[in-house]
Amino acid sequence: MNTAVRASKGLKLTDILVTIVIAVVFGLVYKIWGPAYDLMKPFGLHAEQLMYGMWFMAGTFAYLIIRKPGVAILAEVAAATVSAFLGSEWGMSTLYYGLLQGLGAELFFAAFLYRNANLWVASLAAAGAAVASLILDFSYGYIDQLSTWNYVLYIGFRMIGSIVIAGVFAFYLARALEVTGVTRSLRPATEQDYKGLD
Amino acid sequence: MNLSFPHHKTWLHRVNPGLKLVMFSILFVVVIVIHDPNVMFNVACAMLLLLVWSGHPWKRLLLYGSPFILVFISTSTGMMMFGKGVTTWWTWGLIHITQESFYRGIHLGFRALSMAAVGLLFGLTTRPVDLFYSLMQQWRLSPKYAYSFLAAMRLMPMMVEEFQALRQAHRIRGLHQHVSKWNMYATLRRYAIPLLAQSIRRAQRIAIAMEAKGFTNETKRTYYYAIGYSAVDIVFIFYFVIMLTLAWGLGICFPYVGVWDVR
Amino acid sequence: MSQATEDVVASITRLRLKFPGEQELLFHNMSLSVRKGEKLLLLGPSGCGKSTLLQVLSGLIPRTIEVPMKCDAAVIPSVSGIVFQDPDTQFCMSYADEELAFVLENNQVPREQMRSRIRELLIQVGLSTDDIHMPIGSMSQGMKQRLAIASVLAMEPEVLFLDEPTALLDEEGTTQVWDTIRNISVDQTLVIVEHKINEIVHDVDRIVVLSAQGEIIADGRAEEVFHGQRQALSEYGVWYPGVWNESSSPRWSESVTQQNGTGNGTGIGLLELEHFSGLRGLSSVIYVEHAQVKPGDWIGVVGENGAGKSSLLLSMMRLLRTQGRYSVRGIEAGSTEQLAERIGFAFQNPELQFVAHTVRKELEYSLPKSLFTVEHCRERVDRMLVQFGLERLDERHPYQLSLGQKRRLSIATAMIREPEVLLLDEPTFGQDARNTFVMLDMLEQLRAAGTAIVMVTHDPEIVHRYCTDIWRIQKGELQYEPVLSPS
Ligand SMILES: Nc1ncnc2c1ncn2[C@@H]1O[C@H](COP(=O)(O)OP(=O)(O)OP(=O)(O)O)[C@@H](O)[C@H]1O
Ligand SMILES: Nc1ncnc2c1ncn2[C@@H]1O[C@H](COP(=O)(O)OP(=O)(O)OP(=O)(O)O)[C@@H](O)[C@H]1O
Ligand SMILES: [Mg+2]
Ligand SMILES: [Mg+2]
Repeated sequence: MNTAVRASKGLKLTDILVTIVIAVVFGLVYKIWGPAYDLMKPFGLHAEQLMYGMWFMAGTFAYLIIRKPGVAILAEVAAATVSAFLGSEWGMSTLYYGLLQGLGAELFFAAFLYRNANLWVASLAAAGAAVASLILDFSYGYIDQLSTWNYVLYIGFRMIGSIVIAGVFAFYLARALEVTGVTRSLRPATEQDYKGLD
Repeated sequence: MNLSFPHHKTWLHRVNPGLKLVMFSILFVVVIVIHDPNVMFNVACAMLLLLVWSGHPWKRLLLYGSPFILVFISTSTGMMMFGKGVTTWWTWGLIHITQESFYRGIHLGFRALSMAAVGLLFGLTTRPVDLFYSLMQQWRLSPKYAYSFLAAMRLMPMMVEEFQALRQAHRIRGLHQHVSKWNMYATLRRYAIPLLAQSIRRAQRIAIAMEAKGFTNETKRTYYYAIGYSAVDIVFIFYFVIMLTLAWGLGICFPYVGVWDVR
Repeated sequence: MSQATEDVVASITRLRLKFPGEQELLFHNMSLSVRKGEKLLLLGPSGCGKSTLLQVLSGLIPRTIEVPMKCDAAVIPSVSGIVFQDPDTQFCMSYADEELAFVLENNQVPREQMRSRIRELLIQVGLSTDDIHMPIGSMSQGMKQRLAIASVLAMEPEVLFLDEPTALLDEEGTTQVWDTIRNISVDQTLVIVEHKINEIVHDVDRIVVLSAQGEIIADGRAEEVFHGQRQALSEYGVWYPGVWNESSSPRWSESVTQQNGTGNGTGIGLLELEHFSGLRGLSSVIYVEHAQVKPGDWIGVVGENGAGKSSLLLSMMRLLRTQGRYSVRGIEAGSTEQLAERIGFAFQNPELQFVAHTVRKELEYSLPKSLFTVEHCRERVDRMLVQFGLERLDERHPYQLSLGQKRRLSIATAMIREPEVLLLDEPTFGQDARNTFVMLDMLEQLRAAGTAIVMVTHDPEIVHRYCTDIWRIQKGELQYEPVLSPS
């Protein structure tokens, strides 16, 4: 009898649970990050936008760990749900932001057919999430109504912050986690592993 | 989470949780299409009014609500000081407050406030278990997602405990001798990696335990909690419809300021 | 596979299995079959693959957990229930009734029947049914394990697999769990993995022993295995009745205990506690009227689950907020960091104290570079690895060890510096016999050389054979119990 590796339709329970638990960890981190972000904000020079990328990290990081379709969206939505349950100061809007940001990141992972999980893809996905969040900011936050210099600063800082935090930092964190071996059991075993059995 | 505190149950607790989530989500869309600050202010009031029925004492509400003030200030001031506008009120260096940007800032503040109010209300009046049972029963959410959420929520207090244990371990193993505390990346990694690794493995073990208990996504299941609709749900929908209509009508007929569109 | 194939409920033939990325096979052509109604006890040294084998037999590998494996034939029970080692990671819901309901939902039990069925199950495992909506977080470890058994029973399993269900429990909890299992097991097929065999050895009718290489070295009735194979058992380090008398080398010299007064000249205790309490939040979780630790002491800290044993050790490390007097060699004890230079500490949960990427680095980390030369350091680490049976795992990440291996590593990191005092929280749980005795011998050597040991344990044998003193913790208070000195 060979191991019956079922053609898995969608995500397995383990994938989902691990993704959501990662999101919960980030949901807790956001609890601390949120007030810090708000405190930076009133200065108006958008230094806080450099920190914004943290909100995309759940998505890119979870994908780098699990590497399956839908993980980035799920992680972002879950992190948003968790922070909403913990009484997020942005309330219900987090759910929409989570959904869109996850989608933004997911598109880039999909564009590479979920085959790549390198630094470039992670950074692109982070940028994708940033763009998605900006789209929502246009209608919810009227950012186009800021004076031009301010508006450019806003977008520029957010893009840079996202790529650094949700792209580069997430990538190195995921790689450090890889070393511990916990991720190994999340990946399907290779042909070679099965060959080693004979 | 918040529900572990003693509080009494009100009609809002009995509203179908899925419906509550959907209504609150629709509110986001509604808020986005409101550009009249008078209406926006009324909507924010209507939503804050709902907090009266949260079933929690005032002191606790104020405590949880305190970050809202920060959010209000932070969202409104940015726009006030740096937004576009022609009727200048005040300039100082880069700061340029105009009538238009001022009202736009206030408008954004109330937007954030109304979303925050319903968000808090949702957290305070909904048991996660009920929400996910409702989503499975009325909104066809796949059980593997619903139970994963519930299992993950159970892990939250454990993570907090683990974080404390990790801090203790670091003190004992003399981490301060090996890593400077100014090395942010190293410090962060020291915490993040064990916590994430531990959580991931826990999640895996729980997933295994769940499947070992006969959980599959394919078969039909019965439900321990039957969550359905009741008269309260109609009241809830009516509250929304009436309050939003009132907010709109009053905002148009009895404006506080002479601005109709902040864009 | 000839006669009586029909009453085989679980079996595996010529199993080959290895973890992804590993070089060696964990199992190489191993076969085992379990008949209906059989009560089988699986023994073997730590890390030999017992947990893995249970997962294969119950069908979790490869259905749920993808581990590369092949076999010639397999019979997997249609419904198998499995209870795991760790009470905290087998529930997905927060309340007892919801957890049981989750299993009933999986089996499509109609909602109207659920409440009565939940009550029945709780009664069956001896849990109170006054309030079935009981938060799992507030249950003791023993209660959690019984709930886990109840939730498995809810599936009406064909075979019940138990993977060290009492590994984390105190004596009382252990007895309760085994009583429960005895009650439910009349016609039930059982496969049990357990290190603490005293309680159950009379209730099983077949024992299978695995070697460290994952081969079956003994298979038969309890008496046959324990008499016929004693040599092999002792060699492989498997627990068997009477092993204590044969293998342990308890304390013989009283030399150090006697030289206390003279050796240090002063007669001052190494550690001294007076009106000492440790606080969690605002409430005191442990109070010590007066206690002293002298060089060469081996103090066994005993007490029920949740009594405050771990809290005592944490307080002695100043990791909890403390009140009262606490001195080290007559001088007021300083901060945690200062204490850590003199005291070696091993946590109850070993995983949280690992800081390095490999087993070797983990040990080197405990040796300050200023005090040891590179060769000296290397030599010491090598010796430690061999003594703790970790020599072939030195390049592995600490997280990828079996439970027993992790624990040994954490003890090794505390011992390697040969500190003046060792505070160890349940160092021997989940260990096989060989490693337990090696550890105890090493501790005894250190003690004879003057190290003081304070050790939490649930094992009465260790207390009676090794300890010079007992600290019994009852409801957060230390009660001193002098041991009759074996003169
Ligand atoms: N995910 C994994 N990846 C690689 N190796 C693993 C993994 N899990 C376990 N192992 C290794 O497989 C071997 C068997 O592990 P298993 O947990 O089955 O042992 P065990 O007999 O139950 O030990 P213990 O009595 O200590 O619990 C061990 O040597 C362990 O280091
Ligand atoms: N992190 C924590 N936060 C709050 N209270 C705790 C925490 N850990 C333990 N306690 C409480 O402190 C008391 C003593 O717990 P402790 O862990 O010291 O018991 P123990 O004797 O070591 O038990 P065990 O045999 O289960 O290890 C218990 O009542 C427990 O509920
Ligand atoms: Mg095991
Ligand atoms: Mg303890």
